[in-house]
Amino acid sequence: MKALVLLGCPETPSQTPLAVYVYNKLTKMGYDTTIAANPAAKKLVKVSDPEDYYHLDLVDLERHLGEIKEGDYDLLVGFVHKDAAASFFVTFDQILQTKSLALVFSRDADEVAEFVSMIEESGSNALITAVRAFHNPSPIKVKFDKAIKEFE
Amino acid sequence: MSFCLDTYLQQSDNYEIHASKAGFKDCAMIIRFKADDLVYIKPGDEVLGVRVIGIPPIPIGFDHEKGTVFLPYTKPCHGTSVVELPIDEEEMEKIRKLDTGNKK
Repeated sequence: MKALVLLGCPETPSQTPLAVYVYNKLTKMGYDTTIAANPAAKKLVKVSDPEDYYHLDLVDLERHLGEIKEGDYDLLVGFVHKDAAASFFVTFDQILQTKSLALVFSRDADEVAEFVSMIEESGSNALITAVRAFHNPSPIKVKFDKAIKEFE
Repeated sequence: MSFCLDTYLQQSDNYEIHASKAGFKDCAMIIRFKADDLVYIKPGDEVLGVRVIGIPPIPIGFDHEKGTVFLPYTKPCHGTSVVELPIDEEEMEKIRKLDTGNKK
């Protein structure tokens, strides 16, 4: 089983620790996991694991978008905290045509609602879990832990 | 060698940005407003050598008088922009073949 984790713009503090958390969780669930991110977000994750404890498999987001095809992954998990992240998630979701989970968060409740609506309007079958959060990863972690049970 | 939008935008100044660091929906509206002809494609469809990112149906516009195409261009940290650049008939036909006909 293969899982792809999509990271958005790295300006959200909670994204990096949660990327490692999600990677670890999916790996323990038996997924061969890959994280796709832009260069800065990749570096933040890479530096978070100096001893290579997690054996993080990191790829460039835009290059990977050009390479993937339907069926390449069995699960897609996306961090959606910006308009562009919603667009990237929907695009990967449509290409891969696989099970998917969108972790929607923002410090602004209106943005949370807007990003959820963007994914829903796309016709995606993704499971969407949403919460107002920015600095503190705990609310997103709680939502992820609950949502990922649907895929166990 | 086929056309590649990323390379073109880095190496040419013959293009126009109509919106930058915007949301996808605003950019889709600008394309619908500015173009005199539209096709609607799916996210991930390849236009000018890149996979187009966005929420379906994604509008791609043409200005036949100027011989240009309008398309959304999304970067993770910079949001979505509307880029207008020259296009030849062959590339235009390739885009037309992607038309889903779905405008909603």
